[in-house]
Amino acid sequence: MLDRLGRSARRGAGEFLYSLGFFLSVVKESVLLVRRRQVGFRVLVMQILFTGVEALRISAVVAIAIGAAINLIGSSLLAEFGQSRLMYTMLIIVITRELGPLLTAFIVIARSGTAIATELGGMVVAHEMEAYVSVGVNPISYLAAPRFLGVVISMLVLDVYFNLFGLLGSFAVVQLIKPIAFEEYFRNLAAVLRPGDLGMGLLKALVFGVIVSVVSLYRGFSVERSSTEVPVAGIRAVGSSFMLVILADVVLTTIQYVG
Amino acid sequence: MWARAVGEPPILEFRSVGARRGDFDILRDITFDLSEGRASFFMGAAGSGKSALLKTAAGLRPADSGEVLYRGRSLAHLSRKEEAQFRRKSAFVFQDGALWANQSLFDNLALPVRVHEPGSSPAEVERIVRRVVDLVGYEEDLKTRPSDLSSGERRLIALARALVLDPELLFMDEPFANLDEAASERVVGIVAALKERGRSLVVVTTRSDLVGRFADFIAVLGSGGLMAFGSYDEAVEWNGDAVRALTGRLKPRAAASEAAWGMAGAWADAFAEDGAVLESEKAGKGANVKRDADGGRAVLGDIINALPEEDDEAGRGGEEERT
Repeated sequence: MLDRLGRSARRGAGEFLYSLGFFLSVVKESVLLVRRRQVGFRVLVMQILFTGVEALRISAVVAIAIGAAINLIGSSLLAEFGQSRLMYTMLIIVITRELGPLLTAFIVIARSGTAIATELGGMVVAHEMEAYVSVGVNPISYLAAPRFLGVVISMLVLDVYFNLFGLLGSFAVVQLIKPIAFEEYFRNLAAVLRPGDLGMGLLKALVFGVIVSVVSLYRGFSVERSSTEVPVAGIRAVGSSFMLVILADVVLTTIQYVG
Repeated sequence: MWARAVGEPPILEFRSVGARRGDFDILRDITFDLSEGRASFFMGAAGSGKSALLKTAAGLRPADSGEVLYRGRSLAHLSRKEEAQFRRKSAFVFQDGALWANQSLFDNLALPVRVHEPGSSPAEVERIVRRVVDLVGYEEDLKTRPSDLSSGERRLIALARALVLDPELLFMDEPFANLDEAASERVVGIVAALKERGRSLVVVTTRSDLVGRFADFIAVLGSGGLMAFGSYDEAVEWNGDAVRALTGRLKPRAAASEAAWGMAGAWADAFAEDGAVLESEKAGKGANVKRDADGGRAVLGDIINALPEEDDEAGRGGEEERT
């Protein structure tokens, strides 16, 4: 029993160190990619197109719906306590600081996390990775670094985009309940918006982007030989990304409130 | 067990190399040298470790024990620059082609050029790609994706990708498998031309007839271990049963070469050009070819002329050093 526990702990520690090394290697190659504008630059553009641009529509739909729901719930609930003026504060906190980065991360996990893990896993099985190595292309530099940068950049842009559409969705509901001018609505929002709220939202988007991309890349590269490993890599990428993103969210939120 | 052709510089050396997959030894204590400019053919039953050995030799999978040396330098300890040079001068033809599915055929062929010749203009890259496509005899559109190709076409493009930078050391995993007759003959002709140019070939195959035609050295693998290695006679002396079980009754080298050139000559009819001259003749080198196989000379001259000019000099230089 103890022996098995020890082996398991050793394996876990080994995997942690390996994944840490993988992460550092991806970061290093990403810096080199930006500095040298290597061949992988085209892959970066394609990744931004897939993860960022192609996710704009679903992101807008989710953001508008969430913004509308928060306004509908908040306006009735807060009115019961005579705190209707807190509506704008709640919108900023919930959309900009909490749900914006979190839901954007979920969208990116569902679309790009699975795609990256299964695509890379398929490439391992088809020996395409070895083919890259054989012609002198470092797969971390050519495949991982552009995807890492693409997902992180897309996360940041999508987060800002989500915030805008979330607040617009809320504005649409306001027009149905208690119409106010567009300028007044955004003036009220701006009055309660603090730089820290924006900063925390962007920090979370950055951290979540790093987590989703590195986990998905790691799972994809972890495939060894069999095609049956490919869907498993996709599932694990999603599961691990969700878990780590939520954990990171808890940690960052705790730091903000306790710290 | 150790084997080496005396007096020839090794391009690749295996030193007690072992490799594991899980708890299973796929390579066990393998030691040999591969001579520069020679064709070494590895044979063995399925699961004997041929492909694992080839990938270890090419530095695509690390040895779990022992070391592999390229020109005296351990592959495991090459600097980034040295590894780039090794990759520039070597190439690998995968058993299943391993073309990059998300790239067009043109990009598959152009990537090695873009990586190793970053200063090349798009026109130059296209010229190099077209030359190697002509070399392997592929005539379809290069904008298509690998998934649109037949298995045989994928193999031809994979071979073209390996040849695009005219490597001095070529690893080939079952290069003659899954090819139709015409493509197979084309590949046989290319292998003959590469051998003629003094390229070092490391080939895994189950085609004993081609081993007889091209092999300078034969290696027989069994259960991850080296069972025989050397010229045909040396290998038979080492382990006659193992060699004969895989090769049958091979003809002696000279007769085998004649057969290869005869076949290339027949295939050459459609391609032969008057005045095509073998590189070996330009270099004044005899080589082990039958010189009156005119058709074979013509078509091989055609292939040779399609290979990059700049490395022709280096190739001849290498041959002269060896002769």
